[in-house]
Amino acid sequence: MTTGVLPEEGMVPGEPTPSGSTPASRPGRGGLLGRVKALPYALTIPALVALAAGLGWPLVRLVIMSTQDYGLRQQFGAPAPNVGLDNFTEIFGDSYFWEVLRRSLVFCFLAVTLTMVAGTAVAVLLGKLGRVMRTALSVSLLLAWATPALTATVVWQWIFDSRFGVVNWALTKLGFDYEGHSWVSEPLSFFFVALLIVVWMGIPFIAFTLHAAMTQIPDEVMEAAAIDGASSWQRFRDVTWPGIKPIFVVLLALSTMWDLRVFTQIYVLQQAGGVTRDTNLLGTWAYRTGVGSQQFGKGAAIALVMVGLALLLTLFHIRQMFKQEEI
Amino acid sequence: MKFKKLAALGLVSSLLFAAAACGDDDDSDSTKGDGDSSSDALAAPAKDTKATLRVWLNGPDTPQDMRDWAIAEFKKQYPNVTVKIEEQEWDGLVPRLTTALDSADTPDIVEMGNTQAQEFEAAGALTDLSSKLDELGGDDLLESLKEAGSYNEQFYGLPLYAGARVVTYRTDLFEKSKLEVPTTLDEFVEAGKKLQKDNASTPNFSGIYFPGRNWQAMLSFIWDAGGDIATQSDGEWTGTLADKESVDGLTTVQDIMKNANKAPADSDDRNDYIDFCANEVGMLMGPGWKQGQIEEECPALKGKLGVFPLPGSDGDVAPSFLGGSVLGLSAKGKNQGLAYQFLKLINGDEFQTQYAENSLIPNKKSLLDKVAGSPGALAQAEAAENSRFTPSSEFWAQVEGDNILQDMGTQIGNGDDVEKAASTANDAIVEILNQ
Repeated sequence: MTTGVLPEEGMVPGEPTPSGSTPASRPGRGGLLGRVKALPYALTIPALVALAAGLGWPLVRLVIMSTQDYGLRQQFGAPAPNVGLDNFTEIFGDSYFWEVLRRSLVFCFLAVTLTMVAGTAVAVLLGKLGRVMRTALSVSLLLAWATPALTATVVWQWIFDSRFGVVNWALTKLGFDYEGHSWVSEPLSFFFVALLIVVWMGIPFIAFTLHAAMTQIPDEVMEAAAIDGASSWQRFRDVTWPGIKPIFVVLLALSTMWDLRVFTQIYVLQQAGGVTRDTNLLGTWAYRTGVGSQQFGKGAAIALVMVGLALLLTLFHIRQMFKQEEI
Repeated sequence: MKFKKLAALGLVSSLLFAAAACGDDDDSDSTKGDGDSSSDALAAPAKDTKATLRVWLNGPDTPQDMRDWAIAEFKKQYPNVTVKIEEQEWDGLVPRLTTALDSADTPDIVEMGNTQAQEFEAAGALTDLSSKLDELGGDDLLESLKEAGSYNEQFYGLPLYAGARVVTYRTDLFEKSKLEVPTTLDEFVEAGKKLQKDNASTPNFSGIYFPGRNWQAMLSFIWDAGGDIATQSDGEWTGTLADKESVDGLTTVQDIMKNANKAPADSDDRNDYIDFCANEVGMLMGPGWKQGQIEEECPALKGKLGVFPLPGSDGDVAPSFLGGSVLGLSAKGKNQGLAYQFLKLINGDEFQTQYAENSLIPNKKSLLDKVAGSPGALAQAEAAENSRFTPSSEFWAQVEGDNILQDMGTQIGNGDDVEKAASTANDAIVEILNQ
């Protein structure tokens, strides 16, 4: 990744030609070279400044804080004692961390798998539908995507509300005993509802992006494959799939990251009655430790562990991408 | 393929965003004063001062009429000052205060629960009012609330009001089931079960409305059985929630939740009046103003409501949690002088008497005789005589912030093993208190 991202030598424009055709009016050779080389970097300065201010500083603070004993007193001005890596040792030595980690990974895996499978299916569907139905489906997907996570979660929570929710009502009407059944108070059904919300919100982006990728595959190729007698599954596997794979990998990496740091959905459902300790994922645990229990140092350390984990998981995907490039 | 490089960059930067979002957007001006009582800052400002004063009051405890009255009165004193009273939910208040009190646009005055205030006093988030204690009432202030407002001999939080939990019940349903007002805890539970049985035809009917997350009501049962949350000796807290006595009390709670209650295990008592108005409740344990709230929400029930203090096993009044609030000035607030003037108005007898009229206990002993009239207020005064508290620790607010007792209640309401639920909560509480 270190070399791949930078522009290659040969691409730098304006390299003086050996013929020496430089007009006399232009500055000397050294000056020109220096200026031209600096220019691309100069152009990145505004973006870098914005990143450093908006992202860099909070990140630096986060790292500093993770090595401090930072509580409510420090929040209001007291000096923060340095504790080195104590916060991290404490986290790794805490059996609860491993429990939350396992829970987060399983949740992430399920959410990503379901989102990608359903998203791909919807993308294929978008390509097959007629004009009217495609528009209807697109609009529905857009609406689902445009709904803020908080709003969507609250709506879903109402759907599953123990007293007034439509799900309990419907199930009871169908003859099951779901009168007053509490969906969020048991961890398993809590995560079922959370998974439903996360997947529901994740599908539109995947579906649209993959659909866009599929439209880039020439119709002639698909036609030729059909004429050659390939079944629709074979056409998907051998023609469509290789075409959309690079984008699919990127989406997979993005989804992994999003679902690993899922917060809003879990937090709202916890406030609605989920048992906090049994339903914390890494994101909510970091928040509850940091802001809720005012152990900002430990919270920051958990957040950093989360970042490391996300990097580790996505590194694999990124490597895949560059491997493909080399071929 | 350029696209991949871009994508890789995008991945890396969104990772960073994820990390930064977890960070703490925080204080650049760590050089601020320690909120020491420079009495200059609290001096009354000029009458023509122009400013906006932001006041956080929690939940429906202070009725709209009282808020309007305070705003109008203050307008007379300071015509150019706009007072904005912003209602906050009790639920999740501690984390909200943690971030709000430290931000540049902090509210000027905040209301905190009596169990939550010490943490913020200890941290230096509130203005020191020690020099004004006498002016605000001194020894006349309710002792327990004054304690909640003090830390290390310094005074930060002005008592606002107190309230004990009482039982509000349907007199007509009691008559139908030929029930008398219970005089012992056992009779109370039995009455609940009988109501439950006699009203089985009403779907969702609760003889005793007891949602899983109503932890304050649970405390009475723990204390009545001889248990407690935690006790302190030599600065070290020992958890007692999993002791036999506490578990006995919680077992009674589970018995009620299972056999005399249809309120969900995953909800709290915030909207209990809705179920009461729907004729789905026989008795509920709530603040003294609950009767007034119900009568306002559904006038049809007027004349069918009664109030009594929860009886204990020994026939006396059961111990109950004395709730209440204190008001503090945010140390970072820019209108200290004005905020103090508003505090004085709220502290005035005229305003405090209105709390008594709304079935809460006013903040001064000299005003206690105003708590007459409504049966709710009387029952509450009786209950308050045997009041108890949550562990007095600056870290207690974290226990509330972490929903530890609420979660325990949900598990108990779900029918889980009481001892196991209590012991999980016990471990978590001890860990916080002894940090």
